[in-house]
Amino acid sequence: MDMIDKDERLLQQFFSEAANQQIEDNGFTERVMQSLPVASQRSWLSRFSCLWTWFCISVFAVLFVVFHGWELLAVQFEVMLRTMATQSFSINLLMIFSVVFGLLFVGTGEIISSELARK
Amino acid sequence: MTTDISLVAQVAVFGNKRAFDELVRRYQSPVRRFFLSQTLGDSQLSDDLAQDTFVKAYTNIRSFKGLASFHTWLMRIAYNVFYDYTRSKHLTEDVDVVPQRGGSSENSSLKMDLYAALALLKPDERTCITLQLIDGYDIAGIAKITGLKDGTVKSHLSRGKEKLTTYLKQNGYDR
Repeated sequence: MDMIDKDERLLQQFFSEAANQQIEDNGFTERVMQSLPVASQRSWLSRFSCLWTWFCISVFAVLFVVFHGWELLAVQFEVMLRTMATQSFSINLLMIFSVVFGLLFVGTGEIISSELARK
Repeated sequence: MTTDISLVAQVAVFGNKRAFDELVRRYQSPVRRFFLSQTLGDSQLSDDLAQDTFVKAYTNIRSFKGLASFHTWLMRIAYNVFYDYTRSKHLTEDVDVVPQRGGSSENSSLKMDLYAALALLKPDERTCITLQLIDGYDIAGIAKITGLKDGTVKSHLSRGKEKLTTYLKQNGYDR
């Protein structure tokens, strides 16, 4: 047992200098940072863009079902035909809501796309 | 000081390169030291492999689940990088075990003795020995890094230590 302890101490002593050695950076970090692939950054944006697209599609699908979108479309279509016939113009809150959110989602998607193209 | 987990999160979620820069500065020394031991003092090769390790860590940072420390996760990548390198180069032990000269801090006689001693070991023995005696990992930690079973790590350590002790005694280190 004593012999094993002695051998273990001998080894630890022999490796002690290496164990305490701190290697100076000397520009290593800079070289690593310069060699990092750009693709990783791009893939993060691509993934976000993809997620955002699916999020928008999901939101619109849910809203379409919740608010019986097909009925609203039919009504709007009817209103459009009637207003075309009478030459008057009708705007309701739901239409404003739809247009604003539609523009918001499309606009955000465009910003992400242009950022991707720039990189 | 910002924790490793926080820096990793900044890199993974926001692609924050400054956070990754900080991680490289923190761990460049142990990673390069690990490769110096494995390559028996070839500083150029060690730096290339260490660079490869950090690039792989960056590209796979989202796979870090925090089950082990970032240091252990990084050392596992380093081990795999070295394993792939030796496999791709088809290095035989005869070629692999020539201690290198050169580099300001690697040319001392003690360093030469260290690398000459490590050259006596098989690659797996060398990895287990250096992870324990230089990096301070216990058997479970070494098993996590190398993917070897605890029993296998113990065998490598035992055989490696036996060879090293014999070498040191023959060279008068026990006096």
